[in-house]
Amino acid sequence: MRQAVACLGNRYRGDDAVGLLAADRLRAIGVEVQECEDEPTRLLDSWAGLDLLVLVDAVRSGAAPGTVHRVDVSSGTLPEELGLTSSHAFGLAETVELARALDRLPKRVVVYGIEGASFAAGAELTPAVAGAVDEVVAGVLGELGA
Amino acid sequence: MSEKTRTIRTDYLARVEGEGAMVVKIKGEKVLDVQLQIYEPPRFFEALLRGRSFTEAPDITARICGICPVAYQLSSIAAMESICGIEVPDPIRLLRRLLYCGEWIESHTLHVYMLHAPDFLGYESAVQMAADHRPVVERALRLKKIGNDVMRVVGGREVHPINVRVGGFYRAPTKAELQALVPDLEWAREAAIATVSLVAGFDFPDFEQDYTFVSLRQPGDYPIERGRIVSSGGLDIAVEEYEEHFVEEHVERSNALHSSMVGTGAYLVGPLARYALNAAELSAPAREAAAAAGLGPVCRNPFRSIIVRAVETVEACEEALSIIAAYEQPDSPAVEAVPRAGEGCGATEAPRGTLWHRYRIDEEGTILDAKIVPPTSQNQRMIEDDLRGVVGVSLHLPEPELAIRCEQTIRNYDPCISCATHFLKLEVERE
Repeated sequence: MRQAVACLGNRYRGDDAVGLLAADRLRAIGVEVQECEDEPTRLLDSWAGLDLLVLVDAVRSGAAPGTVHRVDVSSGTLPEELGLTSSHAFGLAETVELARALDRLPKRVVVYGIEGASFAAGAELTPAVAGAVDEVVAGVLGELGA
Repeated sequence: MSEKTRTIRTDYLARVEGEGAMVVKIKGEKVLDVQLQIYEPPRFFEALLRGRSFTEAPDITARICGICPVAYQLSSIAAMESICGIEVPDPIRLLRRLLYCGEWIESHTLHVYMLHAPDFLGYESAVQMAADHRPVVERALRLKKIGNDVMRVVGGREVHPINVRVGGFYRAPTKAELQALVPDLEWAREAAIATVSLVAGFDFPDFEQDYTFVSLRQPGDYPIERGRIVSSGGLDIAVEEYEEHFVEEHVERSNALHSSMVGTGAYLVGPLARYALNAAELSAPAREAAAAAGLGPVCRNPFRSIIVRAVETVEACEEALSIIAAYEQPDSPAVEAVPRAGEGCGATEAPRGTLWHRYRIDEEGTILDAKIVPPTSQNQRMIEDDLRGVVGVSLHLPEPELAIRCEQTIRNYDPCISCATHFLKLEVERE
C-alpha cells in the first residue's frame, strides 16, 4: 500500500504553524512527511498512484480553536466553510480539485483541518490549537494503520 | 445611469487575519474613489531580524514569501556583502543567477497559468480550466516543476533554499548535477515559447497607462540579481541611493505603507518595467518570442503583462541553459564574509519587481536595524491608478463582469499576497 502524509502551514503565522508542528511530531516517531510552506501544487507529482494521502492544515471555519475536522475528500470536495484556501490563491482545496481533474488524486484522500484562531505574522500559537496536535497525530497514525 | 448604490463583494481567500480590501466607489459615470489595502508590510520580520546575526538574514527573510524566497535571500545577501565589503566571484554570482532563474520559472508559471490565464479564458479557476484544457495545465505543472528542480539542485531545497549564504553557497553543485537539468530545461524553453504564443492569443482589454517604469539595469544582462536602479524618467542611481528617491508613506485608511517616487508619485516595478527598460538585453529566443507575440519595445497595457511574464520565462530558461553550459565548479563555494559595523543595501528583481533591503549591523555582525520594501508595496499606488482607469472605461459592464475586470486588474500585478497580505476582499459601490 502506497501512502503519504503532507502537512501544510507557515511557522511564522501564528496558528498556521500547527500543520507543521504535527509534521515535526510525526517525523519524530518515524513517519515520513511532506512539508509544504508554499503553494501546494508542487506536491501533485508525488501524489499520483498513491493508495492513501493524508493532508494536514490549519483551517478557519468559525468553530472553536483547536477543533479537529476530518474530511474524506476521496469522492467529494472540501466543504467551503473550512476556508481551506491559502495565502496564494491556489491552496490546498484547489490543489486537491486540480489533482482530481487531472486524474492524479490518490485512491483515498483524508484531510485533517485544525481550527486556528490567530494567523497574524509573528503571533503565538493559541494554546487550544497547540493542544490539538496530539489528536491530529493520533488520527494520522490511525489512517496509516500504524 | 442608475444612481442607486450597488455593492459587489469578492472574497478570494478566507483563511487569514490581517486581511486587505479593495473598495471601488462609483457615482453615475464617475469613479469617486479607489482604495487598495493589501499591503501588510513585513514589519514583523524586520523586528525579528534585530538582534540576530547578519548570517541569519537570508534564511529568516526567505520565510516572508513561499513563492519568492530566493529574491529575499539574495537581496539580503547583497546588502550584507556590501556591508562586509566583499564581492563574490563570477562563478558564484552566476550560480545565484541560475537559482533565481528557477524561481522566475516557477513563480511566473504559477501566475501565468494557474492564476491569470483563467481570467482570459473565462474560467473561475485553473481547476475548471483543467477540464477543458488538460494539456495546457499539464504543461504548466511540468514547467513549474522544472523551475522547482533548478531551485532544489542549486539551492538544496525547492522552497526556502538552505544552501544559500552570505558569501556564496555551502556547497556548489557539480557540473554533472547541473548537466542533468539540461534536457528538462530545453523542454522548458520550448514550453515557455509555446506559452508566449498561447497567451498572446488572448483578448486584452483596450487600456494603457502612462507608467513610470522602475527596475534594475545591468548592461549586458537582463536584470535579475544585480544592477543600478533606473527609471523611464531618466533616474539612474546606485541601490544605496534608493531612499533619497523613493519614500514609503503611511496611508490613513489602513495600516498600509504606500511607496512613491519623489517628484513623480506612483511608479511601476515588475515585468512590464523590466521589459520596457531592458528589452535590448533579452536573449535571442526571448526576443523572437516577444516579436512573434507582437510586443513592441514598450508595453503599456497592464493586461498584456501576462505575455511579458511568459517572455521572461523563456529568458529564464535560456539564461539557465547558458549558465549551465559555461559552468565549472568553483574551487570554493563561498568567500569569507567578516562583519564590520555599517549599513548596506541590496536589491534584486523578484518575479514581481524590485525587492529592496537595507540593514545596519555592528562589528560583531548583529543586526541593529532592517528595512524591507517588497515589490507589491511599491506597486500599490499604481494598482489603484490602474483600477481607477480600468473602472472608468468599463462602467458599461454589468456588475459581475466589472467585478471580474477589477480582480483581473489586480491580478495583472501578480501581487505577492503573502508578502503583502493574506486576504483580499473586493467591494464595488455604486451611488
